[in-house]
Amino acid sequence: MFVLSVGKIPFIHVGNQVVSELGPIVQFTKAKGHSLSDSLDDVQRAEMKAYMELVYNMLLTSELFVQWCDDATAGEISRPRYSSPYSWPLGNILAYQKQWEVRRKMNAIGWGGKTLEQVYEDVNQCCQALSQRLGTQPYFFNKQATELDALVFGHLFTILTTRLTSTELAERVKSYSNLLSFCRRIEQTYFEDKKLMKD
Amino acid sequence: MAAPDELFCWEGDWGLPSVSTDCLVVLVRVRSASLRRKKSSKTSHALLLPMVSPGSLPALRTNQNETLSRPSDIIIHLRKQKFNADFDLSAKEGADSLAFISLLEEKLMPALIYTFWVEPKNFVEVTRRWYAEHMMFPLNFFLPGRMQSRQLEKLRLLRGDEHLEAGEELEKELYRDAAECMNLLSQRLGSHKFFFGDSPSSLDAYVFGHLAPILKCKLPNGKLQQHLKSLDNLSDFCSNILLLYFPRDEEERNLAGDFDNVPNKRRKQFLSALFALGAMLSYALLTGMVSIQHGHQEALEEPPDPEHIGAHEEEGDG
Repeated sequence: MFVLSVGKIPFIHVGNQVVSELGPIVQFTKAKGHSLSDSLDDVQRAEMKAYMELVYNMLLTSELFVQWCDDATAGEISRPRYSSPYSWPLGNILAYQKQWEVRRKMNAIGWGGKTLEQVYEDVNQCCQALSQRLGTQPYFFNKQATELDALVFGHLFTILTTRLTSTELAERVKSYSNLLSFCRRIEQTYFEDKKLMKD
Repeated sequence: MAAPDELFCWEGDWGLPSVSTDCLVVLVRVRSASLRRKKSSKTSHALLLPMVSPGSLPALRTNQNETLSRPSDIIIHLRKQKFNADFDLSAKEGADSLAFISLLEEKLMPALIYTFWVEPKNFVEVTRRWYAEHMMFPLNFFLPGRMQSRQLEKLRLLRGDEHLEAGEELEKELYRDAAECMNLLSQRLGSHKFFFGDSPSSLDAYVFGHLAPILKCKLPNGKLQQHLKSLDNLSDFCSNILLLYFPRDEEERNLAGDFDNVPNKRRKQFLSALFALGAMLSYALLTGMVSIQHGHQEALEEPPDPEHIGAHEEEGDG
């Protein structure tokens, strides 16, 4: 079935409703009685929300920056990949439009003047913070997986498995061994049948 | 020792050392770090508006005559000069700082931008008027408007919606996020004096920079302020920082008096008056209302009515 989503991905389809984006999906599932963070107290919930924002703010923005604001990566990988579902010249136009849009956003939030090195350093800082928080625990809030674990897994997995012009981003993440084993553990626990991660 | 760095900030009002969030953040970091070092700050706080890049404050002119205008760049530079407020933080606290700063930027800052720059009543009655009053002619005519469009664009890009406009729906959403953020901060702060330990860190500076304008500025649409005032520990936190690091600002501003926070004000006033005078004079000369040559002057004085000429000559003889 061809779903022409004008909205944003990810989205879930429940009966007649379509809910998109992580935040609303979490709220929706919570309303339906499935929540991952019920057992947390107030301070912990505050910290969880803060760390989720950290991931959005730094990891997501860095990923976008590396994909679209670095000319080499944009030209070799991001634009071709973005334009592949469409025929020429629509694909090209859309790809350039996306690139321009991302660059504008970077300028607005003050990332416009950053170099690639600075962005790698930001990712490093973010991973260091996450690594500190995780420590030796199995999940971020001890024994139970929460939304934060899902979010971090999603982003780190993307960084580790996406092919880019340089492997520096992946290397930075790999240097934090507890984060690496965290990703492997989540993959084995929840995605057993599909071998998604190759060594 | 090289000349000290100079920090340019927006002026203060409503009991604050500066009205801009970014300026407040930088000011708190400098003040707290220099007090910790028990020596007077090397950075002179000249509260004035540089002609070079108006509208992009705070700006730091270093002793190598380089100008930095992004808050993050300024803080990095200050850190190199050993103005680091985060020495005593543990690694975990440093990580928490980073996380909460991200929370502030994602959830609270959009609401701040909306309430000061996009909400129509607030913008017209308070923000635009304040900036127009604190800018020089002729910037005060177009610069506040330009600042507003920049802030609106920033808000649009942050929310990912190109056609965002002021409205009740948007306001409800943004304020709900902001209220949630403030609740989370309040829960995290608890009954402590600062977020980590007994002295302020960079997180405290950021929180203060964002909350203080909301707390102190009287806006027509003050929903954010109401919510903030209901969170006692956050309001106390802000007043505490103000008292600790900016206690004499009231007096300083009274003493500053004539200086009025603009350098060379007298010279600029004189030059403006001279320019105006020159413009009027040249207009008058060009249209012939006034002339410098003697001959013409007599002709001008001569009344057009011939009857009076006779009377004039008689008077002249007599």
